Parts: sequence; structure tokens; C-alpha cells
Amino acid sequence: MIIVGMADSAVAKKPAKITTLGLGSCVGISLYDKSTGVGGIVHIMLPSREQARSKDNIAKFADTGIPLLLDTMVDEGAYKHRTTAKIAGGASMFSFNSQTQLNIGERNIAATKRTLKELKIPIAAEDTGKNYGRTIILDTENGELTVKSALKGIKIY
Amino acid sequence: MKHKISSLSELQTSALREIVNIGVGNAVTSLSKMISTEVKIEVPALKVELIEKVPEVAGGADTIVSGVIMHVSGDIEGYIMMLLPEEAARTICNIISSEEEVDILSPFNQSLIEEVGHILAGSYVSSLSDFLGLDIKISTPMQTFDMLGAIIDQILIEMSKKAEYALLFDTLFIIQGNRTNGLFLTMFDPDSMDTILERIDKMI
Repeated sequence: MIIVGMADSAVAKKPAKITTLGLGSCVGISLYDKSTGVGGIVHIMLPSREQARSKDNIAKFADTGIPLLLDTMVDEGAYKHRTTAKIAGGASMFSFNSQTQLNIGERNIAATKRTLKELKIPIAAEDTGKNYGRTIILDTENGELTVKSALKGIKIY
Repeated sequence: MKHKISSLSELQTSALREIVNIGVGNAVTSLSKMISTEVKIEVPALKVELIEKVPEVAGGADTIVSGVIMHVSGDIEGYIMMLLPEEAARTICNIISSEEEVDILSPFNQSLIEEVGHILAGSYVSSLSDFLGLDIKISTPMQTFDMLGAIIDQILIEMSKKAEYALLFDTLFIIQGNRTNGLFLTMFDPDSMDTILERIDKMI
């Protein structure tokens, strides 16, 4: 199992599993090309690279992290036009935040969708929002994305 | 950031550690009184970590904990978090409410944990503010039972807008001999670290 940390990404070819743990407001984007079995996950923290002071780690942002993941997959043999996405996370863990500021989880999801649209990658499944954490596992054997939570059970997309 | 954390002098580091030690010491004394049980703490570890590494340092992003988070504001900005593994949350609820079968997810026990966190952070912050002569307030607590990474990522996101590294103090507290423990985590933003260090420099 390959573990992708926060603001991190990884790409692998079947048969391998890739996971990222404890997504709250962050979003986990998994891309997969069934024809080659190449898949990858990026764990983004913020919508856009322009919002951060330290600009070195491009995997931290939706608008740079997703293109980075796609490019790496293409380098590994994936076809861009056959690649699809499954996304999870973007929760709002604490209700009070929705009043004090625009919800960061929702903004992360919106930026993720915008970026995927620009890249012309269809979203095959999503498990986003609400108020609980998620761990995701991508199986590059078949492209299945398993979403685990502490109290809401396990779902497979 | 004026003070590069790597260039902290030995004296500054130990002064910082001592201040946190006193603060957490006071907090734990409150906890100990509340639950009439001995609570010990380990000397706080001071760590400088890349923000995205914090979940690993705090015990693993998928570790399930009962977490209470408070925002620190006033002369310094940051967060104080109490992270309790299920067993520790159950022990505390059990001692306070003397329920036989503790459901740590019941609204009563959730608010109990929340209040314990708030009282602990309150005594911590008041000792910090006395010692440093700073005006420091804490927000109302937010509590949830979930994966550690998910609980704290919103805070890490906020901090990552201002800084690349976080200065953390983590203090393990041990309840009832060795039976169960929890983690007290403090993070300050870089400007606040400067404020604290200026105060310390005046003292030493």
C-alpha cells in the first residue's frame, strides 16, 4: 500500500493500492486510466496556489496538484483522454466555521471540480461534504475507490 | 519570520519548553482535581515540523480520537488541541459521570469532553498569559470524534496560508498509572512565536 501524505501525491500501476488518510476539509482526488491500470492520488489542502505564502509544494493546491498528478500518470503510460476521477473529502468538520468564513471544504471541492473540468476529466464518483473524516484507497487493479469513515462505515465506488 | 526557529538559542528553547510545561502542568492539575485521579505529564516536546507532517507527528492521520480544539487569540494567535484516544475519553467520562456503560458519543458525554478540554485549555492559557504578561483568550471549544487528520486539517489549512512550518509542543498526559493517555497539542503562528520570544528575551 502506497501512502500519500497531506499535500502529497503518488502514482502507481496495477496491481498496487494507493491510500490517503484522514481527509477532513482537504480533498483526495484519485485519477485512473482503466486501459493501462495506471492510477494516482493527490491530497490537496487549498483551492489555489495563489492563496499560499509558501509556493514550493504544488501538490498542496487543487489548481496545480491535479495537473501535476495527471502529468505524472501520463509519464507512467496513462492516456489522458481515458482517465476518470473519483473525489472524496471536503467536509466541514465543525459547524461554526460556516458562519465565520466561507467553508474551506466546499471551496476545495469547487476548485477540484473546476480544475477537472478544465482538464476535461469526467468525475465518475464523489463522496464529499458533510461533517466527517474519510480515508480513501484506490485499487489500481480495477479503479475501485474505497471510502472509509470512523462512524459511517465503508463505501466502494 | 524574524526568529528562525532553527536559530533558537539553547536558552530560548528551554525557556519555551518550561513555559509550556508550567502551562500544561496547571491544566493537568485542574484535570486531576476534576476526576480526583492522579494525572502525570511528560516534559513537553518542542518540534518544528512542516505543516503537512503534523498529523503524522500527532499520532497518525487515521487514528480515531475525541478531539477538542480551541482557537487562541489576543496578543498571540494559535490553537490548542486536546486529543484523546477512545479509551482515555471513556475513562474521563466514566470517572466524572460514574456511568457504568459509557457511550462517549452521547451528547452528554461529548459536551463533557468538550468542557474538560475547555477547562484544561483555560488554565493553560491563563498561566501562559500571567507568565508572559500577554493578553490571551481562547474561543469556545469545538469537539468531535473522528480521524485525527480530519479533525485538525482545517487548522493546518489555516496555518499553511501564513507559514510553511509549525512550532508544536506536544505533551503526553497519563491518567491512572499507565492505563490511558492523551495528547495536548499547541501550535502558534510565526508572528506569535516572535512575540513570545521577545518576552522571553526580556526575562533572561
